[in-house]
Order: sequence, then structure tokens, then C-alpha cells
Amino acid sequence: MSHAPQKQNPAFYAVIGLLVFMSVGPVLLMFVNSFKLDVDILSGTSGLLFFPTIQNYETALCDILWYEPDHLRFCQLKFGGAFINSLVIAIISTVLTLVLGAMAAYGLVRFRFMGRDTVSTTTLLVRMVPPAVLLVPVFGLWNNQFCLDQDGFLGGWIKDMFGGRGDPCLAGTHSGIILIYVAMNLPFVIWILQSFIVQVPRSLEEAARVDGAGPFQVFFKVVLPLIKPGLAAAAIFTFRIAWNEYLLASALSDRDTKTVPILIVNNMSEFNVEWGVIMATGMLLAIPPIIFTLLASRQIITGMTAGAVKG
Amino acid sequence: MPRIRLEGLVKRYGAVEVLHGIDLEMADNEFTVLVGPSGCGKSTTLRMIAGLEDVSGGEIYVDDVPVSHLEPKDRDLAMVFQDYALYPHMNVAQNISFALRLAKRPKAEIDAKVRQVAGMVGLTDFLDRKPGALSGGQRQRVAMARALAKDSGIFLFDEPLSNLDAKLRGQMRAELAMMSQQVEKSMIYVTHDQIEAMTLADRIVVMHDGYIQQQGTPEKLFKQPANKFVAGFLGMPPMNFLNCQIEARGADTFVKGDGFALRLRGEIAAKAARHARKEVTLGVRPSDLSFAGDAQPEDSLKLDVKVSEYVGAQSVLLCACGDASVTVEVNSETPMALGETLVFEVNPARVHLFDRESEIAL
Repeated sequence: MSHAPQKQNPAFYAVIGLLVFMSVGPVLLMFVNSFKLDVDILSGTSGLLFFPTIQNYETALCDILWYEPDHLRFCQLKFGGAFINSLVIAIISTVLTLVLGAMAAYGLVRFRFMGRDTVSTTTLLVRMVPPAVLLVPVFGLWNNQFCLDQDGFLGGWIKDMFGGRGDPCLAGTHSGIILIYVAMNLPFVIWILQSFIVQVPRSLEEAARVDGAGPFQVFFKVVLPLIKPGLAAAAIFTFRIAWNEYLLASALSDRDTKTVPILIVNNMSEFNVEWGVIMATGMLLAIPPIIFTLLASRQIITGMTAGAVKG
Repeated sequence: MPRIRLEGLVKRYGAVEVLHGIDLEMADNEFTVLVGPSGCGKSTTLRMIAGLEDVSGGEIYVDDVPVSHLEPKDRDLAMVFQDYALYPHMNVAQNISFALRLAKRPKAEIDAKVRQVAGMVGLTDFLDRKPGALSGGQRQRVAMARALAKDSGIFLFDEPLSNLDAKLRGQMRAELAMMSQQVEKSMIYVTHDQIEAMTLADRIVVMHDGYIQQQGTPEKLFKQPANKFVAGFLGMPPMNFLNCQIEARGADTFVKGDGFALRLRGEIAAKAARHARKEVTLGVRPSDLSFAGDAQPEDSLKLDVKVSEYVGAQSVLLCACGDASVTVEVNSETPMALGETLVFEVNPARVHLFDRESEIAL
């Protein structure tokens, strides 16, 4: 068969164009609107004729700018703080999920124990519970059950360090949100990593054992490097969920630990929706996942195990 | 160098016993080859020595110290795997030095060792390559180098050449033989290829169905097989077996079968004389039959030539002797035509007799 240029149906290009418009359009709209004043956004002349301004970004970033923007009387948004909260929560929960998930998946694949198959299939079942169902019980537990006595040693120390009323509880802390994110993402990560670990030839692990590696060295020096593509895929998945999650974070965070998605919604009130600022924060919110995904996806190289064994 | 001794080694998977009490003692610096058809338990035995399989019964001794409870890393051994098992994320140098790095040896020592071993197997120019960028033979060398670098007293090979093509296999076999003379180690080599076993071994251990059938030097096993299995397993083309019965005719002992009556001579005749009228199996190697038109009927077999396989200097003839088929190896210059009935003289000193029931050599 020759590779003569094929003439495509015009409808083909139309569909492609539509798909591109659908996926890129909203991002473009957000990008353009983030440089408009609210007046311009709401004026209805949705044209490209407007006076670009970075006011929205100044408002969004007011707590970390080195100068005071002219148009603001006081800095209401704490984007910097929320951004750091988001980063801390997303990164720590991703790392924890990967470490626990990889170990659990390895155990499920390599060790024989009673109920192994049941455990393996039920892990995914847990994932099917919608977060909204978890919200109420988790909120109750985090606020009332998972608390430390304020008169106790550790509880007293935490209260002295961080302040607060009543017994220090898991609710409103970074740890509380990280914990629920880890619990939520772990099943999927275990499931996805299992399929990668199955592909690591057993004789590689045996060779490492003969070469003098203990069980942990086998895992960290031989197995983990070989399932890097799986780890990267799982990391992208976990990070993005942790970064975007709204529902649980809105219930479990307090003023100091709220994440960026919650901050954005704070810009809507019954009197006023600050579209420009929302668009600007939205643009800023999108940057870390993009960087993270680009970095992680470079690890997804096929044929990692090529050359290990003769097929 | 360490001496390995197996005492009543048993392996069970659930209720199934696959090894039934293996007793084996290997001498210093000996090249021991475990050989047998697939499923005979030879790889399991090797993996138990390596510590990769649990021992269900019996004990493994290294220099009279029981080791069966030790982890592989504490057993002072190196192993070459059938599928090479190279670490794909490390380059050749890192693969070779993995064990040394785990043992936290000084860097200068590791570098020197890697260079020395790579030189031995001819990999010096490939130290920076990943296993994925190497050919099959080169990967095999890396696996060998990795085991050599460990400097352990025991060297285990699990069918290391079975993934190579025929030509490369012959070449690597010669290199292995050379290497085994250079390094002073106790080597245990598992293979299903009897040619590898014959050429490499100081001692061959033939296994079948979880039992050791016979052990000894290649020459001893070839010339004095203990039973029909060993006789049929070693040698290429395999030994011919013909059913027959021992008959005493005056002072001579004959074996009489379908279409032949062969007079036994020497040692074997004396042994057979004690078992008159016994049902036996006659074993003759294809190379012990020679084309001789004028041979006496009691010293020869009359065979119908069915197929002739020309393999160069030799031809392998597939012939019929009554209902049984017989292979003969002859000089390919021998004049003959298919369908002819020819007379082949049997080398009387190389005749084997096996009990029909127990298949043990008389």
C-alpha cells in the first residue's frame, strides 16, 4: 500500500474543529476574561476589544505581592496561603498514597496469604463509594471522635502551639484532609500498580536476592525503578484529584487550611460574583497540575523492562 | 572451595512430592551437571541449593554446615538464570557491580573488579549500555559477569544457554568450559541438553521423576549406564532398544529377538548366563553398529533401510528390525540404497542388557 495523501471528508475536519473548540474554548475564555475588568466581562460585548489589565491577578495575589495594588483598600483574598495549603495537601497525600499503594500492591501480587484475591478485588470496591456519602460520617468523626484531650500531654502541647478552642481535633488540620485523600485514592493506586508489578519478572527479584539484597532492597532497588511508569500515572491521577477536590475540603478545612478551589468559591456572594478574580485564580490554579503532569508524564516510557529477560 | 552435600532432600508442593530424597555429594572445585528431561526436579534442586525454594525435608550442607534455613544472600553463592534476569534500569557496569554495591565495598575495588570481570567475558566496550541494547549472547555474558564479580565459592547455572541459537550455544559452551578451568569454584549446572552435560561436566547427575538415576563421570555414564533411562537419555542419536530373551546354547549365551539372534561375548555374556530365559531389552548405540556385508549372522543385525539422513561426514539411517526401529550411524560414503536389507555388525564389547521389568542394567 502506498502512502498517497488521503482526501478526508470535510465533515471529519469539522468534527475535529468542534472538539478542539470544546476543549480549548473554556480555557481560552478564562484566559481572556482574567485580563478584563468585571464591567467588560458583563457588558455583553464579548468581543476582543477591551483594555487588558492585571488588576484581577493583583487582587488574587494581594497577600504575596511586594507592593500594594492601588485599586485595593485591603487584602481580602489569601491566595498565597491557600496555594501553599493546596500544595502541601496535594504533594503529601500523593507521596503517601504512592508509598503505601506500591507496598500494598507488591504484597498483594507477590505474597500468598489467605484472602488475597478477596482483598485484591474489594480494594476497588471501596473506590466506588462517592465522596458525598463519606462526607457526613467523616465530618462527624474528624470533629468529635478523632480528637486529643486538651488536658493530655500531646493535646495540650498542640493547643499551646496552634491555639484553638476545645480539644484539638483532626478536622480543620492539613492531616485531616490528607488522611481522607489518601484513603480515597489508595484503592485505585493499588489496583493500577498491581498490573505493573505483575509484569516485573520474578527471576529479577530472585537474582537480586542471590546478589545479596534483603526484601526492602529488592523492593526499592529493583521493583520500584521498574514500575516507574505506573507510579507516574498513579501520581498524576492522585495529585489532580487532591488538587481539584472541593466537597470534602470545604467541610474539613478551616480558615487557615482551606485550599484554592474553596478560596475561589469564596469570591461569590449573594450580592456580587467577582468574575475577573475568579478567572484569574482559576488560571493560577491550573498551573501546578500542568507542570506536575508534564514532569510525571516524562517518566511514562513504554518498554521499561525491555532487556531484562529473554522472552 | 566449599563442598556441597545434599542429604535426603525432599520437595513437596502441597500433597505432591516432586523430589524424593536426593542424596548427592560434590567434590571440591567440581563441575557438576544435573541433567534430565523437563519436570525431573533438576531446577527445583538447584533453586533449593540457592535458597529460592524452601526445603520440605532433608538438609543441604556446605562444608558440613547446614544451610537450608539461610537466606540466599547468606549462602555465599552466585547464580546465572535461564532468562538472564538482568536489571533493565541499570547499565552493564551497574548490573555487574550490583552485588558489590549492596555489600558496600569501596568504590575503587568495585571499579577494578568490574573492569577485570568485563575483560574476562569480553564486555569492556559495552559497560555503559543498558541490557535492552545488547544482543542475546551479550546479555548472557553480562549474566555470567555478574555472577563472576561476586567472588563466591559456589556457582549455580540454571539452563544458561537454552535461550541462545545453536551456533552461539556451542561458542558459549566452549567459553564456559574454558572459564570453569580458570576459576576455582564449585559449579552446579542444570540443563536438559545432554551434549552440554557431556562436554562440561566433571560429574553428571542424571535425574528423572524426582529421583537420581545415576551419577558419575560422563564416560562412566555413557559406557556403563545403570538403567535403560540413562542409556536412552545420554548419547545422540539415542541408543536403540530391542526386546529379546536370553538363551543358552551350549557354552554360548545368545539373545534372541524378532528377526535376530545375537551371540554375547565377554563380560556381558557371563552376566547374562546367570539369567537364562529372562526377558530383557538389548541396548545398542547407533555408533556401535557398522556396515559389514560379510559378518556372521550371530554377530550382526539384518536391517531394512527406511530413511537416510545425511548430516555431512556421517549419515543416520533409520532402519527396521522386525517391528522395532533401529538407528545406525555410518560413514556417509557407505554405498547403499533405501529399501535394501543390509547386514550390520554389532560391536560385542558395547552391548547393554536391561531387565525388561525393572529396566535396571544386568
